[in-house]
Amino acid sequence: MERSGRLLLALETGGEQVALALYDGRVVSEYLFDAGRNQTATVLPAIRELLRVNHRSLQELGAVAVTTGPGSFNGLRVGMSIAKALCYALDIPLIGVLTLDALAYPHTALGHTIRAFVPAGRGRVVYADYRRAGAHWIRESTLRSVRLEELTAGLLTRTVLAGPLQPEQEAIVRAHPAVVLPSPALRQLRPAWVAEIGFRRWQAGDTDPVAALEPVYVHGGGAETVPSVQLPEGYGVPFGQE
Amino acid sequence: MIILGIETSCDETAAAVVRDGRFVLSNVIRSQVDLHERYGGVVPELASRRHVTAIVPVLDLAFADAGVGPSAIDAIAVTEGPGLAGSLLVGINVAKTLAFVWDKPLIPVNHLEGHIYANWLTLPGQEEVPEPVFPAVCLIVSGGHTELVLMRGHGEYVLLGRTLDDAAGEAFDKAARLLGLGFPGGPAIQRAAAQGRPGRFSLPRAWLGDSYDFSFSGLKTALLRLLAHYQRRPQRRVTAQEPFPEYVAPEYGPNVPIADIAAEFQAAVVEVLAEKTVRAAREFGARMILLAGGVAANAALRQRLCELSPVPVRYPPPILCTDNAAMNAGAAYYLAQRGVRADLDLDVQAQLPLVTRTALRAASV
Ligand SMILES: [Zn+2]
Repeated sequence: MERSGRLLLALETGGEQVALALYDGRVVSEYLFDAGRNQTATVLPAIRELLRVNHRSLQELGAVAVTTGPGSFNGLRVGMSIAKALCYALDIPLIGVLTLDALAYPHTALGHTIRAFVPAGRGRVVYADYRRAGAHWIRESTLRSVRLEELTAGLLTRTVLAGPLQPEQEAIVRAHPAVVLPSPALRQLRPAWVAEIGFRRWQAGDTDPVAALEPVYVHGGGAETVPSVQLPEGYGVPFGQE
Repeated sequence: MIILGIETSCDETAAAVVRDGRFVLSNVIRSQVDLHERYGGVVPELASRRHVTAIVPVLDLAFADAGVGPSAIDAIAVTEGPGLAGSLLVGINVAKTLAFVWDKPLIPVNHLEGHIYANWLTLPGQEEVPEPVFPAVCLIVSGGHTELVLMRGHGEYVLLGRTLDDAAGEAFDKAARLLGLGFPGGPAIQRAAAQGRPGRFSLPRAWLGDSYDFSFSGLKTALLRLLAHYQRRPQRRVTAQEPFPEYVAPEYGPNVPIADIAAEFQAAVVEVLAEKTVRAAREFGARMILLAGGVAANAALRQRLCELSPVPVRYPPPILCTDNAAMNAGAAYYLAQRGVRADLDLDVQAQLPLVTRTALRAASV
């Protein structure tokens, strides 16, 4: 079957909100909604609706990008199962995007170091640091788990905090002089960021194995440092404005 | 009608292609025993993780073995429950996506109903299995379930009884762990029991009066009490491959007559299961007894039922007793005849009952 080959579906189901996007070099459509714990019942109907209102068909999909976490394990598995089955049934490539990469991505143009994080339950967060290295942004390979109050400890240089915070938590992190805190809407994961990272990797031929890709299973569980995780080799977030 | 079945309710990732609810074209099962062995039981989070990486190769193989492509499929069947939520959701989301992309009807199957319908299946190269006849009494026994069901026709179930605590397979797992026999417990106990004799020790049978319910937790307690007579030693695990020694030295010292204890334990479980099933068959005029679930592969249970039963006893071949997807594709054929279908909002039903107690009371049996 001839595929138009340019349309990418991005999905993230591991966070508080389900996030879907259609992208073909620019954002065709974004869809964010609060699924609670009902991802299984709601995500596929939402994908069908997203295609319908944008007058696109499944057959136009050329690739799928899915977030690999960290996030809710069962939530991540919903997105991963759907993404894999789509790629298998349509015979198209799959791109796994680390949720933290997507959260850091929109802030690269500022030039500061970025600390991206997601809530990990029990008052903890999992984070990774992003630094500029030449034309690229590089993520350290170890994801760390700390209590939220410790997220800013030891920061020396101006650092953008990228991740969702409750209002009372904002006050805590803002107290640190090195912290740059973008507006809440800019720190809530947007499906277009996942789509854009996925689209670049797809165009560069950097895709993941459909059968073997799995979520990054990191939780807050009390450990100070979580072991480094398997990440795509030599993968850096491209510099914001090329 | 050709149906693709998918099953991920517990610790097997499975896909199968079945024609007309009767003929298995392919039956692929990716077992996770290696993963859970060291824990002596299924670890739900690990099971869910394995499903995520196993499902696509399993699907691929199911099509290749059947020699058909997606275009030959008329419907897709998947377990909606009961089972482990994190495991079920992998199969359900994959099945829904395939149904969406390939534009095929989606048929949700109750896992217990699936097990029963394994009795309708004929494996490739096997002589055609005749269709079971109604009314039938079905005994579903596995690591997760022990249910006695009267089946009056396709989809017509009356729950006669079920376990009040541990499932029969779970009881075997726990006993095998106590005796140092490894996982899964059913086959391990059966192997050990073959070298022992029941009756040397006496373990209780929970008859629970006239009820068709079961209880196995007391049996485990009695086993613990029996083992307490032997001196406790540092734990030593017997690997699954090791030939079974007549007197092993597990946790409880060097002189535990493991084989005789295993034989008595198995007899205690099997007797209650068999006698209640046969009594139900008599009371409700069943024309057939259908065994289903992983424990249906137990030779002692099959033998005891055949000895006692006034009507034919049917049980699937071992590969269809364990969790598999062919049974879902088989059950779905009969569900499809009755117009059962699901849409893309199909959700996980981790606690899905086959029939409820209310239905039992309402049914004037
Ligand atoms: Zn089962």
